[in-house]
Amino acid sequence: MTRLIARAAALAVAAFVVLGPLASLAVWSLAERWTAPSPWPQRFGLKYWNRMLTADFLEPLRLGVVIALVVTAAALVLAIPLGYALARLPFPGRALVLLAFLMPQAFPQLPVFASATREFYRWGLAGTVTGVVLVHLVGALVFAVWTMAAVFRALAPELEEAAWNLGASTTRTFVSIALPLATPGVVASAVLVFLYSLDEFTGTLLVGAPFVTTLPVYMYTASQGYELQIASVTALVLMLPGAVLLLALERFLKSEYLVFFGQL
Amino acid sequence: MWRLYLRDVFYTLGVAAAGAALTFALAIPVCGWLRARAFGPVEFLLKVPLFVPFVVVGHALRVFLSPWAPGLAGSWTGIAVALAWKHLGLAALLLLGAFRAVDESHLEAARNVGAGTARLTKDVLVPMSAPSLAVSAVLIFSSMLASFSIPLMMGRGGGAQMLMIDVYYRFGQHGDFETAAALGVVGYLMAMGAALVYLRRLTPPLQRRSLR
Repeated sequence: MTRLIARAAALAVAAFVVLGPLASLAVWSLAERWTAPSPWPQRFGLKYWNRMLTADFLEPLRLGVVIALVVTAAALVLAIPLGYALARLPFPGRALVLLAFLMPQAFPQLPVFASATREFYRWGLAGTVTGVVLVHLVGALVFAVWTMAAVFRALAPELEEAAWNLGASTTRTFVSIALPLATPGVVASAVLVFLYSLDEFTGTLLVGAPFVTTLPVYMYTASQGYELQIASVTALVLMLPGAVLLLALERFLKSEYLVFFGQL
Repeated sequence: MWRLYLRDVFYTLGVAAAGAALTFALAIPVCGWLRARAFGPVEFLLKVPLFVPFVVVGHALRVFLSPWAPGLAGSWTGIAVALAWKHLGLAALLLLGAFRAVDESHLEAARNVGAGTARLTKDVLVPMSAPSLAVSAVLIFSSMLASFSIPLMMGRGGGAQMLMIDVYYRFGQHGDFETAAALGVVGYLMAMGAALVYLRRLTPPLQRRSLR
């Protein structure tokens, strides 16, 4: 009995702490009027959700999805061979490449993005979609290379050794043995990179300003203008893909990938 | 320049330390409890923050805190709370992994001599997974030092700022790239100690399984 009470209490506290802030987004998104001293909105309504159907909101959404698709494709094309090489092949400077891909995990990103923006101004890339794709690729490649290396390392090396023993080249072994086996990992990596790009804020804000607006930037602009309801609606939409992923894939995602979500 | 920003350096260190302390103050007892008796729903809830992007966390905690505690959201406490909320997911993931790696026989031995969940956590789980705890703490602390979106979304009051906010305003608002870059280097130096521990712990397993 006491055990049941302890569990119920733990669940209630965890639900309040974790879901409270998320629920208040929902309350705010429905609050048509909420003046200061009241602890609760005076009038609820769908006014701000209807704003979602205007170009104001749909254009950043469309642009963000297009950018995320391009970033995902480019990141995978580069990360699959590089991840395989890091997992399996000794090559000169291997430790250095590894270090280069680990650095952005440990160091502040913002100064890197600031330098990138300054260079991009010189090349006419600041404020363009190409510039934003490039800056997303910095982070996306870290995610993609790191997960792909983990996926290839998790494959049993015996199968590839057998192919080598039968005379297959490194490329052949990679294409016909390792790659098919790694398909689920490639899909997981693609989903991760897509979400990363869709939610990326810092780089987009610096490089994309003032012409490229994706949803996170739109949300920031709205909240700066004290349009807290618009920002809340956008926040809920931004959370949606992550929520679907959490509900659908929670038990399938290895903790190795999950750690990367902490960086979003 | 130093006189201007020294205060912000200490402010940043302070907020990150408070945030990391709060994260672990919440995560250690909960994960210890979850290790002793598995309870799916709470474990699931703990993972939720992992899937909420930083910008959304900043805004969510701003609108969560502001109606009931006006002024708290933009203060150092509000930022530390928001950072702790976001990192709770990561901390839970790392701590549960570490606690589950502790062999069941140690827990049984402690239970046989009468230890409850609290004693079990304090005297068995935490000491036995101390190295992983240290790595998690370093990881979370340095991530908090470098945080940008959360303090930006929580709103900018007067007074001391997080260092990355300074970098952003110096660069974005004043076009003063040189000072922004210098502040960025200060940020790197603060993360450096943290990064060294992180790299030393994480690279060896990666180098072990090459084929030829």
